[in-house]
Amino acid sequence: MLQNESQTLDEATMNIQPDNKTRRYDRQLRLWAASGQAALESSRILLTSGSATSTSILKNLVLPGIGHFTILDAARTTPADAGNNFFLNADASIGKFRAEEAVPLLRELNESVDGVADTRELEALLQTDEGRKYLASFTLVITHNLPAKTLDQLASLLWQDPTYPPLIVVRSAGFLADFYIQLHEHCVIESHSETAPSLRLTKPFPALQAWADTLDYDKLDPTEHAHVPFALVLIKEADKWRAEHGGALPRAYAEQKAFKAAVRARQRKLDEENYEEAEAQAVRMWSEKSISSDIQALLDLPPVDLRTSPNAAFHALLEALRLFVQDPAGPGSLPLTSTLPDMKTDTESYVKLQRMYKEQARVENALFKEILKKNFPDLRIEDAVVDAFVKNAHHIKLLRGRQSGGFDKDKDALASALQIFPKETVTHLALSALSELLARGAEPASITAEALTAEVHALVGQGVELPNDELEAAAGEVVRAPTADLPNTAAFLGGMVAQEAIKLLTKQYVPVNGYCVIDLVDSWTGIIGAP
Amino acid sequence: MATTIVMNGAAVAADWPGRYHHVDQVLDRPGPRTDPSFQAGDEVKDFLRDKCKILVIGAGGLGCEILANLALSGFKDIHVIDMDTIDISNLNRQFLFRPKNVGKPKATVAAEFIMARVPGVKVTPYYGKIQDKDEDYYMQFKLVICGLDSVEARRWINATLVNMVDPENPESLKPLIDGGTEGFKGQARVILPTISSCYECSLDMLNKPTAFPICTIANTPRLPEHCIEWASVLEWPRVHGDKKMDTDDPEHIGWLYKTALARGKEFNIEGVTYSLTQGVVKNIIPAIASTNAIIAASCCNEAFKIATSSAAYLNNYFMLIGTDSVYSFTFEHEKRPECPVCGGEAVDITISKDLTVDKLIETLIERQDIQIKKPSLSSGPKHLYFQAPPQLEEATRPNLEKPVSELVADGGEITVTATTLPFSLSLRIHYS
Ligand SMILES: [Zn+2]
Repeated sequence: MLQNESQTLDEATMNIQPDNKTRRYDRQLRLWAASGQAALESSRILLTSGSATSTSILKNLVLPGIGHFTILDAARTTPADAGNNFFLNADASIGKFRAEEAVPLLRELNESVDGVADTRELEALLQTDEGRKYLASFTLVITHNLPAKTLDQLASLLWQDPTYPPLIVVRSAGFLADFYIQLHEHCVIESHSETAPSLRLTKPFPALQAWADTLDYDKLDPTEHAHVPFALVLIKEADKWRAEHGGALPRAYAEQKAFKAAVRARQRKLDEENYEEAEAQAVRMWSEKSISSDIQALLDLPPVDLRTSPNAAFHALLEALRLFVQDPAGPGSLPLTSTLPDMKTDTESYVKLQRMYKEQARVENALFKEILKKNFPDLRIEDAVVDAFVKNAHHIKLLRGRQSGGFDKDKDALASALQIFPKETVTHLALSALSELLARGAEPASITAEALTAEVHALVGQGVELPNDELEAAAGEVVRAPTADLPNTAAFLGGMVAQEAIKLLTKQYVPVNGYCVIDLVDSWTGIIGAP
Repeated sequence: MATTIVMNGAAVAADWPGRYHHVDQVLDRPGPRTDPSFQAGDEVKDFLRDKCKILVIGAGGLGCEILANLALSGFKDIHVIDMDTIDISNLNRQFLFRPKNVGKPKATVAAEFIMARVPGVKVTPYYGKIQDKDEDYYMQFKLVICGLDSVEARRWINATLVNMVDPENPESLKPLIDGGTEGFKGQARVILPTISSCYECSLDMLNKPTAFPICTIANTPRLPEHCIEWASVLEWPRVHGDKKMDTDDPEHIGWLYKTALARGKEFNIEGVTYSLTQGVVKNIIPAIASTNAIIAASCCNEAFKIATSSAAYLNNYFMLIGTDSVYSFTFEHEKRPECPVCGGEAVDITISKDLTVDKLIETLIERQDIQIKKPSLSSGPKHLYFQAPPQLEEATRPNLEKPVSELVADGGEITVTATTLPFSLSLRIHYS
């Protein structure tokens, strides 16, 4: 009997234990969950070189488990490559195809990732329909120090069609670097924002208001009094305040202070921590907007043609959200979140409150789905996606970009960036100037700081003032090491670019919009050129 | 004699022509921001490649990356310490390890991998604790890079390196470069012991570990975490007595999970999962390859700049947040005059006349800038309370109930020590 019981227990333990894959990925699943992992696993990534920076990027994508990678590189390993690239067999690789040498060493990092070497010339692929189709067939394309002309062609190709993959353009010289993500549009449902969503305490839903109304402090015994959840304390205090202030909530600082004091005055004994918590949370009563300005801006966007948009589902959900907010049967705000923060209260009250929020969230979720179905009867969106959208409606994000190189051609944008972010902008321009000079056939080692500075001036055009000290610092560093793919810069970029790639592929967290500029002399990063 | 020649021969052969083409570009000439003392050319290369012995503490998420970066940068005499063995959950980021290495010491496997991949680099592993080594050991290095996940170990090495500084001997000052990550966030910093802000100076910047009050766990659970804490803190000792809980034992975790799940059911609390149970009892911090790569690269870049003077090094803190776009902040963290390691001034603390020694200890444990788990207290020659040895603990135990004011005069000092920390903290007591 006993033995049987323990056997069942053992079996139960066996069943709940995660499999090897879950154990291997445990530390990252805690960041992007199974849905993010599945997205990574279905991705196909193209790197257009086997440089140290490129293999560093790939390493950080193979480890978390992308589906497939291709290294497209016609170059053979030089002695310099063998010295700075960890994913080559040192001097034994010299003279062999760099891509073919690197692929097995990257693949051994994760057996479940597929990888191939392609030793054809990118320039040649760009010339044929078949080649262009092949390049556009990946989920994401990443380049490092690609010559300007080839980069222009590749960027134009991938920009042609919004369904084509995003392109990450990485450039580096010695201690300096930048990268840019070329994308038409990127929609994020799970941004993992750390700002707490509204609990709707200034406009409680009926069940919550009813609870607050029936709660009478004078009728509570001391234990109950010490366990009134802060949400209810604040709702009750707000009702009282409104009654005494012509229906308005505290606005001016003095009013806010008085409101807080009134909340705190509810405390009968020093150990009633719930009132201290309510005082600390009182800010919710005047800082929480029913719709944040970020979300309002999304709701105000002109409608998108769903027949052609690669993000039709997201735009339909966004339109449904717009209608939900306006719907007289709805709350007049974003859907309620069902996740409740912890509160100093007893189990019973907390569970009761949690169930109320869950129930209300369920009702609003149903209304949202009704609106969605009514307006988009032919659109099929997975229920899980709709649920995620409703749950994260407070934090959804939409990024829109422009073609790679567009910033450098936008003289107004450049001039304003120079004003606000001088060192970031001149560092970016120094790297652009280097590509230009190299494209015109300059010998890297003989490029002078003067020539580079002159090129930067030419890029920004007449009459634009450049910050001299910052320009000298950046230009001098670029000409010092124009072709250096330093191991630490490569590793730094490897982490940064892979991180952005993961955000793009999982559609979780928020990728960089614009150029990320990096200076590893003074150890800083900055963002410029957001469209 | 013969060995030396062969070793030299091998080292020379390993440096094929053009090997350092990339790194040499920044070693052969200065940049506009390079310090005038920089000795471009052979001198700096010889120092980096032949004389700059460096220590890496930790061969985990950051450590693997650090070792590879240092080897490629040209450091050829690298030592590495790590007390851990390889677990399957390390493989998503600790890229020198393979499934067949699970269970083997991290330091040894990492060292062998680097030496096999990067010719001419010697990596000397030590599988053990940093506390096993003495000052003579640490004195042999020019630089120390730390890639640890333990606050306690960092405090130990930080205090050890600060204590080692002898003003008469410039060689005794060992720059410490420290990196840390959590999910998409991380930081890298340069500590010049006694000169710049040290690790202890910035203790209050750490996230406060989530601690649930016992009364919540026992009486008013609300979150799944409360149920899990109940299972591990209260139920495990009650049911299993002295048997120690092993958070790496799947059977133990399984028991905790089922116990917490049952408690959740009883109180209508949802969300107890196996993964959450593991996360709470092992205090798991999410970790990915990319963040580790960024922070390790930053640490190694600073090490390279310090070793070569090819560019100014970080002064002194680089912080990165990668969740919403990329945000980083580079700033100078200031020294704290009352830092118990590098400051020398006592911490002023004002307490009520009625506060007992017991309660004072509680306060110290909770204070974010102090964080001492099991403090022992003395005032001059007087023992207020000692955690060990047992006889002394017993002798001083009655003091726990007494008000501090009965034992220490207003303005008097209390010395706080803990066996885990190689320094003591002075408190100056004032009564309100
Ligand atoms: Zn200090």
